[in-house]
Amino acid sequence: MREFRKFISAALVICFVSIFMTGCGDSKKEADKTTLKIGVTNFADTLEPTENYFGWVVMRYGMGESLTKFDEKMSVVSWLAESWQISEDHLSWTFKIRDNVKFSNGKPLTAEAVKASLERAFNKNKRAVTFFKYTEIVADGQKLTIRTAKPEPNMPGFLADPLFLIVDVSAEADHNFAKEGPICTGPYMCQSFVKDKAVMVKNPYYWDGEVPYEKVEIPSIDDPNTRAMALQSGEIDMAVNIAAGDIGLFKDASKFRVDRISSLRTVLARINQKGVLGDPKVRAAFISACDRKSYNEVLLKGTFIEGKAPVPPSMDYGFKDLADPNSYNVERAKQLLTEAGWVDTDGDGILEKDGKKLSVDFVVYNSRAELPLYAEAVQSDAKKVGIDVKIKNVDYNLIDKMGINGEYDCLISNITTANTGDPEIFLSWYWRTNKNGDNPQNGSGYSSPVLDAKFAELSSEFDQQKRHQLIIDIQQILMNDGAGLFLGYPETNIISSTAITGAKMYPSDYYWLTNKISPVKK
Amino acid sequence: MKKFFKDKNLFALYSLFVLFILGAAIFAPWLVPYDPFDAAMKDSMLAPSFEHLFGTDKLGRDCLSRILFGMQTSLMMTLSLVVIISGIGMMIGLISGCYGGKVDMVFMRIADMMLAFPGIVLAIAIAGMMGGNIFNTILALAVVSWTKYARLARSLTLKLRERDFIAAAITSGTRLRQIVWRHMLPNILPTIVVTAAMDIGTMMMELAGLSFLGFGAQPPTPEWGLMLNEGRQHIQTAPWLMIFPGTAILIIVTIFNLWGDSLRDIMDTQKIN
Repeated sequence: MREFRKFISAALVICFVSIFMTGCGDSKKEADKTTLKIGVTNFADTLEPTENYFGWVVMRYGMGESLTKFDEKMSVVSWLAESWQISEDHLSWTFKIRDNVKFSNGKPLTAEAVKASLERAFNKNKRAVTFFKYTEIVADGQKLTIRTAKPEPNMPGFLADPLFLIVDVSAEADHNFAKEGPICTGPYMCQSFVKDKAVMVKNPYYWDGEVPYEKVEIPSIDDPNTRAMALQSGEIDMAVNIAAGDIGLFKDASKFRVDRISSLRTVLARINQKGVLGDPKVRAAFISACDRKSYNEVLLKGTFIEGKAPVPPSMDYGFKDLADPNSYNVERAKQLLTEAGWVDTDGDGILEKDGKKLSVDFVVYNSRAELPLYAEAVQSDAKKVGIDVKIKNVDYNLIDKMGINGEYDCLISNITTANTGDPEIFLSWYWRTNKNGDNPQNGSGYSSPVLDAKFAELSSEFDQQKRHQLIIDIQQILMNDGAGLFLGYPETNIISSTAITGAKMYPSDYYWLTNKISPVKK
Repeated sequence: MKKFFKDKNLFALYSLFVLFILGAAIFAPWLVPYDPFDAAMKDSMLAPSFEHLFGTDKLGRDCLSRILFGMQTSLMMTLSLVVIISGIGMMIGLISGCYGGKVDMVFMRIADMMLAFPGIVLAIAIAGMMGGNIFNTILALAVVSWTKYARLARSLTLKLRERDFIAAAITSGTRLRQIVWRHMLPNILPTIVVTAAMDIGTMMMELAGLSFLGFGAQPPTPEWGLMLNEGRQHIQTAPWLMIFPGTAILIIVTIFNLWGDSLRDIMDTQKIN
């Protein structure tokens, strides 16, 4: 009898679960016109724009604005600066700051305030000097002049980086930027912030048109599937980066609008040169073993483009002409490993040399759905040539530190390649020789004198044609050296309910919440 | 008497199921239609069909093969965990119960400390600190689960100490170690075994739970909790990735629970008292 009761209760549980699940479907509520809800993934612990990459979040959430910004085609256009020009000697840039801009506390934006904010960024974040080094910043009314010791051709692009978003430094005395959000010039300002949820309210002093919502709630829904379901159920009005496999769920154009663009991002595995992958043959074999075409076209359903070079084909830097010496070739991979002295002596399918197994630690994080998938696909392909890949899942916040300290054999990253409008910074950060920590992002130990010479040339080259060629050359060197495993180039997307309008994904990935997003008027 | 036979029949039936499961797990490498590790990427996410009865997962691996192999992993983990905790718990309980005094106090206070934490939370913390792999998960759950057996064994031992045959043994000059091995152990063993048998289902769930959270088995190991977690990302587009491993857990846990129950029903007829 007791058994029978157990079966009955099990059956009941199953019934309840299925009833509960069917309830999840179409419970779309009447849209609230004064509150916007956006589902995102947030990596920032605080809103201090100079800490780590947290400035990105400040800008994405519609708080921070910088002097310049990137448009749909990644051209630099004016934002807080109205116009700019470079001096004859190429050593000073002058920006004219708009005179109708106010901070969210009502204080007007002057060149003096911009100067203080830029200096603050340089003082607080070591990354700032990897963009450019200034000798002097001069403020005169609404005119800001930045002098540099060497020519900086890409200065307007550098200043579009969220690290250089403009904050009211004088407000810092009685306002905790990290916890309460910085005082900026964007359409929204922070009401409350914890890592899981940010609440923004209208900035009453906004300079560039009307701000449509009184309040914007931005929950961080890290799990991609949960984020998709929240959007389906109407719990949020728009979501950023729905996973490749789930985009098909939003086909109904009467309910959802999908904005997909090919991004400027690259998914790559940084390869540590200090470990077992330091041997060029092993590295080449490892890269050759990976069937990147299948990963992108089959596993990710074509929402990613097959990887080959550091810079994605969405930017014109010779993608088609670059030759990949380590394209997919299992036989070549096996051959190279044999040449490097790795053989399977104990018959377990994993190669050994000097009694040590050929094992690679692959560090990944989960908040982007495609990353663990890539890692597992690499793991399975590598096993076919006798490399044992151990996947280590870590929290996103540890990734940056592990990258800098070189605590990996392979470390997955989904990186924007043109945060300054061209890929110079991206390439230089990860592969220019790191001498005594002057290029901290390169924790891989990779160093090539030829490449460093090219970087030196690139950093002060104004001629677009020559810059273009240099960037192509740099990529080819990196590919020949097997300096990274370039897995694929993602599309990115914003999917919004048709109850709102104006949600748009930009290639540069810094502008999610803008005052262009508004409720649909009925 | 009638009840005894009915119980026996049920026990025989469930034992048959259990044997069947164990057989399937042991012979999994010969039973599976495909290699559970072989990623055929062009076949990713195929719906269940005659070719792939349970469909394929994100890397194009056959789900049926992975579930069968996963049974091996799950059972191996569960059985070793149950053996470890019941063995260690019983020893500690016996020693505490027999020697009493300070030894008893030290062991029981440690047990109290472990009991003061919610078990699974502590296990997550331990597995999280040591890093996720199968061995660490078993260790983490062992650390939080042995107390139950220690307390049970201790109370049984204390009760036995009052019995006449123990008094007789003591007065006839039997050494303490002899008493423990010859008289105590055989008398508490059946209860411990029954408890352990009934624990198999629970432990299997907890192990799968830790794997689901990413603290247990790591990819590409086929393990049910891990498979559930992998399938979770595709619950709307490829529900079979969750349905089959989930059902497998449900069925196996139910069978082991029923088996444990029926084992207890049989053992009840020959209680210690």
